[in-house]
Amino acid sequence: MAPQRAGQKRKVVEVPRPKQQEEDDALGNGLLDGAIDDGSSSEDGASEDGSEEEFEEDEDEDEELDSDEIPSSEDEEEEDVRQQIRDLKTRDTKKLTGTDTAKDIASISSGTPVKPLADDADKPNYTIETDANGNERYVYKEIEPNYDSDDSDAPDGVNTIGNIPLSYYDAYPHIGYDINGKRIARPAKGEALDSLLDSIDLPEGWTGLTDPATGKPLNLSREELEVLKQLTRNERPGEGYDPYPDMVEWFTGKHNQEIMPLSAAPEPKRRFVPSMHEHKRVMKMVKAIKEGRIQPYREPTEEDKEKDEQEDFATYDVWADEAPRPDHIMNVPAPKLPPPGYEESYHPPAEYLPDKAEREAWEQADEEDRTRDYLPQDHSALRRVPGYARFVKEKFERCLDLYLAPRVRRSKLNIDPESLLPKLPDPAELRPFPDHVATVFKGHDGRVRTVAIDPSGQYLASGGDDGTVRIWELKTGYCFQRVKLSTTDAVNVVSWRPTTDPPILAACCSDSVHFIVPSASVTTPEAETQAIELITAGFNNPNANQPLKTASGADKPSPSSWHRPIPAHGSQGVYLTISLRSMPKTFVWHRRGDYFATVCPNTSATSTAVAIHTLSKHLSQHPFRRLRGLAQTATFHPSKPLFFVATRQRVRVYDLQQQKLERELQPGARWISSISLHPLGSNLIVSSYDRRLLWHDMDLGTTPYKVLRYHDKAIRSAKFHPSLPLFADASDDGSVQVFHGKVVGDSMENATVVPLKVLRGHKVVKELGVLDLDWHPREAWCVSAGADGTVRLWT
Amino acid sequence: MATQESAAANGRTAQVKIHLSSRNEDIQLPQDTGAILVSTEFKRYQLSTLVNRLLDTDQPIPLEFLVNGQFLRTSLDDFLTQNGISAESTLNVEYVKALVPPLHVASYEHDDWVSSVDVLSASSNAAKWAGSAYDTSSQPRILSGSFDSILRVWDTSANIVATGSAHTAPIKAAKFISPTQVVSSGADRTLRLWNFTDSTQPGEQGSLTPTLELYGHKASVDALAVHAPSSRILSASADHTIGLWSTKKSENPVAPENLLPSASNKRRKLSTNSKPSPQRGPLSLLARHTAQVSDVTFDAKDHTVAYSTSWDHSLKTWDLTTSACVDSRSTPQALFSVCHLPDTSLIACGTSAKHITLIDPRASAQTISAMTLRGHTNAVVSLARDPNSSYQFVSGSHDGTCRIWDLRSARSEASERVGESVYVINRESGKGGVAGDGVKVFGVQWDAEVGVVSGGEDKQVQINKGQQ
Repeated sequence: MAPQRAGQKRKVVEVPRPKQQEEDDALGNGLLDGAIDDGSSSEDGASEDGSEEEFEEDEDEDEELDSDEIPSSEDEEEEDVRQQIRDLKTRDTKKLTGTDTAKDIASISSGTPVKPLADDADKPNYTIETDANGNERYVYKEIEPNYDSDDSDAPDGVNTIGNIPLSYYDAYPHIGYDINGKRIARPAKGEALDSLLDSIDLPEGWTGLTDPATGKPLNLSREELEVLKQLTRNERPGEGYDPYPDMVEWFTGKHNQEIMPLSAAPEPKRRFVPSMHEHKRVMKMVKAIKEGRIQPYREPTEEDKEKDEQEDFATYDVWADEAPRPDHIMNVPAPKLPPPGYEESYHPPAEYLPDKAEREAWEQADEEDRTRDYLPQDHSALRRVPGYARFVKEKFERCLDLYLAPRVRRSKLNIDPESLLPKLPDPAELRPFPDHVATVFKGHDGRVRTVAIDPSGQYLASGGDDGTVRIWELKTGYCFQRVKLSTTDAVNVVSWRPTTDPPILAACCSDSVHFIVPSASVTTPEAETQAIELITAGFNNPNANQPLKTASGADKPSPSSWHRPIPAHGSQGVYLTISLRSMPKTFVWHRRGDYFATVCPNTSATSTAVAIHTLSKHLSQHPFRRLRGLAQTATFHPSKPLFFVATRQRVRVYDLQQQKLERELQPGARWISSISLHPLGSNLIVSSYDRRLLWHDMDLGTTPYKVLRYHDKAIRSAKFHPSLPLFADASDDGSVQVFHGKVVGDSMENATVVPLKVLRGHKVVKELGVLDLDWHPREAWCVSAGADGTVRLWT
Repeated sequence: MATQESAAANGRTAQVKIHLSSRNEDIQLPQDTGAILVSTEFKRYQLSTLVNRLLDTDQPIPLEFLVNGQFLRTSLDDFLTQNGISAESTLNVEYVKALVPPLHVASYEHDDWVSSVDVLSASSNAAKWAGSAYDTSSQPRILSGSFDSILRVWDTSANIVATGSAHTAPIKAAKFISPTQVVSSGADRTLRLWNFTDSTQPGEQGSLTPTLELYGHKASVDALAVHAPSSRILSASADHTIGLWSTKKSENPVAPENLLPSASNKRRKLSTNSKPSPQRGPLSLLARHTAQVSDVTFDAKDHTVAYSTSWDHSLKTWDLTTSACVDSRSTPQALFSVCHLPDTSLIACGTSAKHITLIDPRASAQTISAMTLRGHTNAVVSLARDPNSSYQFVSGSHDGTCRIWDLRSARSEASERVGESVYVINRESGKGGVAGDGVKVFGVQWDAEVGVVSGGEDKQVQINKGQQ
């Protein structure tokens, strides 16, 4: 082995070492060297020995690992490297220390007798030649494979390329390498003519196949072919096997029968006693036969056969006896497929057929994105309808649906959301109500602050920032009269005396109240004289304008004075002027037309803010000694002697006869702008500057029955229609909203409030929209006073 | 002709047999053509061309076609479908001369709003009643009452022939009684009779002289109706009454003292009018309305019957001989104007709810509203008959338009028959503001010679006439 190793080492070492070689040569009798050096220091040798041992171990491991495998070139390389190192060491030791381990000695000693022999044989193992570059080149002899190989059976000239297809070598002239690394030449194939000749002159056993191991044509002998054939047919396991051998009569036939029993033991008792278990089973059968559960076999008659045949072809309705299962949370029936529509017909109407664009869109769409998985197709007759290509897929998908679809019963509240809304009548049924502008009254310069329609419904009075009161004809919008009350102050309120005859118009301008009798074109002379008499009758009253006495008897300045108008007003039809201490913002007539109330919200003295006046006596009274809060507006009850006073946040109801506070309403508004009492007297609407309209039902406590928030800006005024179930409010957002407000006399029924119409048209000027509104006494018409200087009649 | 017909209807379209006829003598077909096959795709224009070709007229006359009393507004095919008539039946088609669109002729400027207009011409009622007393060769005259309390008479070339200024308040109504007599009323609660002397020469001035003042109403007198042969005047007043007056001074009773103007007003009046007119009272005051009476009219056939409309939503029929209210019909809206259409025995009422309701006043009528004419966008305050056709009338509305209506141009809707206007006459002075603000029409009159005369808030009398 050692020489082999040495050979290997040398073969792979790249660096040419002629010197070493020489030394090796000298090593031919290395024994001596070793002997010389043997006695030298052992210290180093011990350490050397350790390292040596390590190497040895490694080597062993490697060899163990590689033992199964064919030694590869890499292994060889490794081996070579180790060998080289070892050589170096040994050489070193030989050179420097001259010591050797026992092993080494042993190996050397063991190899010694062989070596000379091997050396002799090995000498010509390689020859040194000079290659093209002038370097030395070692040319080794061929290895004798059988010498070193375990595989003694390996055939000569076997290809060593391993288990790879021969086709890899198609591009080369050789087909692999033999054990010596020599190329195995591709067997000569000859020319096409030769191969043709070969094919004509078939050799014995020619198969036309190539032996993959040798690349030569594979020839099989006749016997081999026979075996192959039999193997492929599963006929016999191998050569010489006879599937049908003659029977050997071991136990039958003449003289082969056994006469003697195998055992002489007597028959056991159980052979003669009937089995209890069998008896039980038989009795069961007997019982079944008796009960008719087991029918004895009967030859099938012709009828039976026919019936059987029919049954073979019969179809079964799986759901024939399907009973409806009780309604249970777990029993969710499979959803029914919708019935086919027109488009699924074989001959659908033309409108169901897809046009070209639809067809293209359908075809281009992803299968999952299609709204339906078929295209309606038109076939002129049922017999032209082709087979349904999607049948299987469709059934499959249906089954998949049924299988995969979750069967969860959703607990759904079956409530129509509409039914939750309160029943409100349709606005169309609540006609008449104003819905469009009919007349625009133009003429006021600046804001129009107040409007009032006279009790006959023919005329309209308006007052504005220009200090004028105008009387218009309602239908045409013609201005019949214009009364200039002031050049600086605005007319805050105009109000017609509630009885028709004679017509008297009260107008509040600055801190005075003026009573105007309309001109001759509006009233008859008779009515005019009546009105003048009525207004001026109080001048004859001795109690009028009497200065009030204080407790001490001194004169107290009267909060109001009644006097004849100044000449400038008198020529315009003003016949009476009342001067109050502060500016009245509210003027309301009692229904009889003799009393009226004024409210001056800006006054400093709260006791004089609210005053009730008697026209016939020219008397002013201040009913409240002290009023909590700042009075905003007031109104009379239409039938009872009740007086409603609204402060900024409260509405108080006073009984005028008993002179006490009847009740107090809390609308919840921050700043009340106006109040209006329903003609029946039991409902009150309160408008507030904080954009709310509050409906108070007096029977329902002190808080509002309904709060209507429909405006974006402050609400200036709200008013009930005197006869129809309507009310409206005017807001700074420039709109008037009309509501249906039906009040039933029966206290069991609540009032119905329906928003009807938003009347838009007034322009918003300096954040003021509609300042006042009034209703026509009979018709569903209303007028609104706008900050844009116009009055509009809505019908 | 047959070849023509077949050529016309050569297409694959369906055909229908029609029988053409006309009641108008001028446009009768030369010979009875019998049934003609026409394509159902024909519309009014094609039929009109066909008839014109049959008539062989020099100038094509625009014609309207009536099938079953309705105007043909769509193609024959659609008409048949809508009315469920089989295309195989023979249609009786009546053709009439189409109403030509009334074009603006002239506008007469006033100082103030014009409340009322009337026309005196050979074809007007006043001239007809006068008979031979009216010189038919004389020029038509237009009467206008204005809110500046002045009554004006105009000739057709925009010249004022005469003015009368006795009223102390805006005039609300004015009418010719005869070619020489005019009645007017106004917000001063009086009716005034005037003597009208026409100018004899074109440049010369005529005169209007007040002859009689009629007192009795306590509020503005908003409308008048006159019937000269029986010398009766009806007045509708805002004091809820209707006054019945005579045109003759002697017939009227003494005026009620309390209604005469007071001293202060009288002084004012005397300053303008030196010689006071005689004052008389009403023959009768018909007081059954509960709100202001807006309009009143005589029955066109029977002058003892009158119809009145009021803001109280009712139309009342009056027997003038007994001054009794015979019948009352209530509608959902306030009524502003009335017009009697004798041939159809319907009464057209203009309402505050923007439409015109046609009411059948006969006791046998089942429904109150026979037909509703929609189109106006504001209250309809004035109505006037077409002098040439008993089916047509004109309405003036506060929305600033006059609309011409034809009762035959209607369709059936859910519960009623609804008509649409044939023509709309806008104010020449402009479009006006919202809801006809600034151009409201207050009075309208339709005369055969002059055309449609209307006055309104734009201070103009506007004349529109269809050019034949």
